[in-house]
Amino acid sequence: MNRLPAPMGLLIQRDQPLDFSFDGHPYQGLQGDSIASALLANGRFLMSRSFKYHRPRGPLSMAGQDANSLVQLPQEPNVLADAHALSNGLAVTAQNVNGTLDHDRDAYMGKFSKFMPVGFYYRSFYKPKGMWKVWEPIIRKKAGLGVLDLNFQPEYYDKAYLFTDLAVIGAGPAGLQAALTAADAGAKVLLIEQQPILGGSLTYARFDIAGTRADNLRRELLSAVQQHANIQVLTEATCNAWFTDNYLPVIQGKRLYKVRAQQCLVCSGSFDQPVIFRNNDLPGVMLTSAAQRLIKLYAVKPGKRAVVLTGNDDGYLAALDLHDQGVDVAAVVDLRHAPADQALAGALAQRKIRCLTNSTVFEALHEKGLRHVKGVDVRQITAQGQVSDKGQVIDCDLLCMSAGYMPVYQLLCQAGGKLAYEDSRAEFSLSGLPQNLNVAGSVHGRHQLDNVLADASNAAHDIALALGLSPAAARTPLRSEAQVNFNWPIFPHPKGKDFVDFDEDLQVADIVNATRIGYRDVQLVKRYSTVGMGPSQGRHSALPTARLVAWATQRNISETGVTTARPPFVAEKLAHVAGRAFDPYRQTPMHARHLQAGAKMMPAGIWQRPAYYGKAEDRDACMQAEALHVRNKVGLIDVSTLGGLDVRGPDAAELLNRMYTFAFLKQPVGRSRYALMTNEHGVVIDDGVCARLADKHFYVTATTSGVDRIYQQMLKWNAQWRLDVDVANVTAAICAVNVAGPDSRKVLEQLCSDLDLSAEGFPYLGVRQGTVAGIKARLLRVGFVGELGYEIHVAARHGLALWDALMAAGKAFDIRPFGVETQRLLRLEKGHVIISQDTDGMTHPAEIDMGWAVSRNKPFFVGRRSVDILEAQPLKRKLVGFSLPKGSVQPLEGHLVLNGPDISGNVTSCEYSASLGRIIGLAYAGIDQSTPGQCIPIRVEGGIVVQAEVVQLPFFDPTNQRQEG
Amino acid sequence: MTSLKAHELLTPPCRLIDQTDLPRVGFRGAHSAEYLTARGFTLPDAPNRATAQADGSWVARLSQNEYLLLGSPADQGQRIADEEARWELDHRAHYLLPRQDSHACVLLSGTVIAQVMAKLCGVDLSFPAFKPGAVAQTAAARINVIVIHSGSVEAPAFHILWDRASKDYFDGALRDALEEFGGVGLADRA
Repeated sequence: MNRLPAPMGLLIQRDQPLDFSFDGHPYQGLQGDSIASALLANGRFLMSRSFKYHRPRGPLSMAGQDANSLVQLPQEPNVLADAHALSNGLAVTAQNVNGTLDHDRDAYMGKFSKFMPVGFYYRSFYKPKGMWKVWEPIIRKKAGLGVLDLNFQPEYYDKAYLFTDLAVIGAGPAGLQAALTAADAGAKVLLIEQQPILGGSLTYARFDIAGTRADNLRRELLSAVQQHANIQVLTEATCNAWFTDNYLPVIQGKRLYKVRAQQCLVCSGSFDQPVIFRNNDLPGVMLTSAAQRLIKLYAVKPGKRAVVLTGNDDGYLAALDLHDQGVDVAAVVDLRHAPADQALAGALAQRKIRCLTNSTVFEALHEKGLRHVKGVDVRQITAQGQVSDKGQVIDCDLLCMSAGYMPVYQLLCQAGGKLAYEDSRAEFSLSGLPQNLNVAGSVHGRHQLDNVLADASNAAHDIALALGLSPAAARTPLRSEAQVNFNWPIFPHPKGKDFVDFDEDLQVADIVNATRIGYRDVQLVKRYSTVGMGPSQGRHSALPTARLVAWATQRNISETGVTTARPPFVAEKLAHVAGRAFDPYRQTPMHARHLQAGAKMMPAGIWQRPAYYGKAEDRDACMQAEALHVRNKVGLIDVSTLGGLDVRGPDAAELLNRMYTFAFLKQPVGRSRYALMTNEHGVVIDDGVCARLADKHFYVTATTSGVDRIYQQMLKWNAQWRLDVDVANVTAAICAVNVAGPDSRKVLEQLCSDLDLSAEGFPYLGVRQGTVAGIKARLLRVGFVGELGYEIHVAARHGLALWDALMAAGKAFDIRPFGVETQRLLRLEKGHVIISQDTDGMTHPAEIDMGWAVSRNKPFFVGRRSVDILEAQPLKRKLVGFSLPKGSVQPLEGHLVLNGPDISGNVTSCEYSASLGRIIGLAYAGIDQSTPGQCIPIRVEGGIVVQAEVVQLPFFDPTNQRQEG
Repeated sequence: MTSLKAHELLTPPCRLIDQTDLPRVGFRGAHSAEYLTARGFTLPDAPNRATAQADGSWVARLSQNEYLLLGSPADQGQRIADEEARWELDHRAHYLLPRQDSHACVLLSGTVIAQVMAKLCGVDLSFPAFKPGAVAQTAAARINVIVIHSGSVEAPAFHILWDRASKDYFDGALRDALEEFGGVGLADRA
């Protein structure tokens, strides 16, 4: 392996080799390597093929900021090889190749690039008519990069909140310094770093000729941070967005942290920018910082003979790094006329490194098949973007380039920050940040190390004050510093392949042509050309694109701007967003008994309820058997999910009288009354019963799904009315069962010693408080299923004991449990509506024949005025009972009721009734269709229309003898 | 500096005690404070505060006029059970709330419980944001919860109460959150 000696290789463990493969070839790397660094250490530069022309590509940034290093893992496509940690046995393959990576049959595409200009596929494949169908499968086959593993098994991802006074994003010199300053002032600081180690540019860049400053400073800052109790650190963590009030999603491994920070300081640094020239995408051409990362972080010698192309002094320092590590630096090609720091020129001269100023690489020369850079054609710059006709060729196998820097502005622009281009410095600056969001370091335009540290200290100083703390030191003044961006690092070549966007294979002409076609706005250029839409999201293309669009449209760069930055900052997996989703459910105290009895459970809101007892495939048989059992013997159903409200106080009756349509002021103690509720619009929203337990105490039931809303409504109205009443939602606290059927009284008699259960002593709609099996209970005589029935309500802690006692006592009477679907059938036979199933958002009492439940003798109830208005108008539809002979096609809920060519309503409930021997149902129908004896056409599955007969409700026991028995 | 890599948080385990079956009760109304004081309880002086009683039971004040009484393991909650049993609806605005039946309850203790709760709850329950004696009525794992800091700065402990019908659900969510911290299961009961 090609490794440099220590102290190079901050990240690697030389004594821990790792075996892996790439495209089937075995390789060895080291613990701490990325896939890319391990491949480069083995001399493997070619890692991918470009998206469109399938050009050979090698790492560009070595920081996970470009698409050149995208590879395929067995279970994951589109993995960034320069960011993904190597592991033992990892099988890596190339993606987006036709054939092999080394011999890609689609590499010929580049030769036809002039026939495939930007947007060609928008215009080329639709003519003549019908041709799209021919082209589509071919294009779809070519589209996309990696391959999904459809057998992938989901893994555990989760989320957690983190709370902090200050979140510092980025732990480079600015982030470290700011964290220390703020922590010293007493702030609780969360330091978030994308890389596995702290230090940012201090880990790889060179800041002085001697090459000692970065290491010393990093050591000093790290030591202080590590010893500071107020600083928490997240490494290998990416802050992927900024949301209002400093809500920061931070991804670390398989966890998404939801950070809530009072203050946020972005020290995200800046991206090294490429120079645009012909073949600037060849393997072996990389950003200067990438070469430095390879040396310092991974101890990989990036080449044997290098040329450094630079627009700032940092290129000189990189050349010194390369030279120090044994790379033959053939030349430093400076786009400028001279370095800002003349001492750097002297340092190069001392090392006999040639320096060519006011020059650029006009073309990178390549080995056969574009496999690697083998030299550069260097020309004098004669004007903006123009070069001399002749130059010199310098042989090299490594070309490092740096045109300057682009602030990592994404999070800040998501927060509303505005980018403005400063012509004098040829770089973007940020302004207009919201309160409590701050910025420091090179993202703030400070590049000189002392200024970076001072800027960070000053920002932390201000943040400490905003947090109400006292910073230890005063603000530090900043010094002026040299320009780091070359103002026009773009050198179009007549033969093209001068790439602006490596992800999408976009060349200078592509951008310029887009503006000539009429897409003058950079946002439109983006959408037309797809510039910035690839995996690197414009990190290296935004600045040159802005410059090119400005030049081509004769505007300044500030006017042109860059495209909108939206979350996420880096690609995030859906698993991070969806991972460990909370999906609440509720169970009754008797849940275990239902499972033991073989219940088929179903959701009812968030409750889990037994639908029926038996196998899913026997649904109809189970339900019909349970229903007949209730009709003929006795059944037991768990109705604990029913809403329960205790309404207590001197004004309890008054509150109910105002909330419900019926009258409750004179309701006797020991009796229950049906309670129907409308909203202000007169629409029916809930029903239940109000059981008067005492003069000042009502126990009110509400629908399973509606009780929370009804409880809120009661609280809301009571807050307005200021009645002397307390409303408590006791739904979970009280569980209930309904013992129903002709033998229900006999069962209950086995367990009740303190209650007169006779028809006279405990009549229909009666309410009693006593004991059942020794358990304190509220008992209600009800008739929802149309049989003699008792609802027994007890404290939740006793629910299981009550169930067991009733099942034991009922054994002699062949008691059996029945489920919700059975209950729905039984109540349908009785013609009882279920609010929200048989009603909708428009239903008012008259439409469901509930006029009898509306008191006309009281001055007010919620919705009274609307109900009066609605009832004064002619009815347009009505809920009717309908019937079909056994064997007919059974309508389903939602099937349409027709009236000539019009739709007059829909089916709300329908089931076969074994008791009645026919199909019965409820449906809305036109008022002219609602008379018993009429037929309503119902359109069922397959478009068939069945003629159902409208019948009088209820279907079963019309004289109510059974339920009142 | 502390690292927040999840796997590095395996510090001392938490202890989780299921107190669902330990008596507790609530009272609400304008006369509740007077009544409870007369019954010998020391009441918190502000809403969202909780006060330990000499016998080990707790009184949490959930609003201006609402109190939650948590039984003490020392007497198996007998004192609180007696209070529930002796209550009757009378002319006073003092209404019983059946908190033992409406809510499940656990006692979660240990040094990392704030981090455990941060996996479930969007409210900062770490010191000093959430001090001993503080009460948070909030949502965790998408259901309503009451969290009472019944421990100390050195030995944090939270009473957590939630909808009893969701006991199985929240038990699961809590167990899942505890897993990385090596916390005990829910087998412990008061």
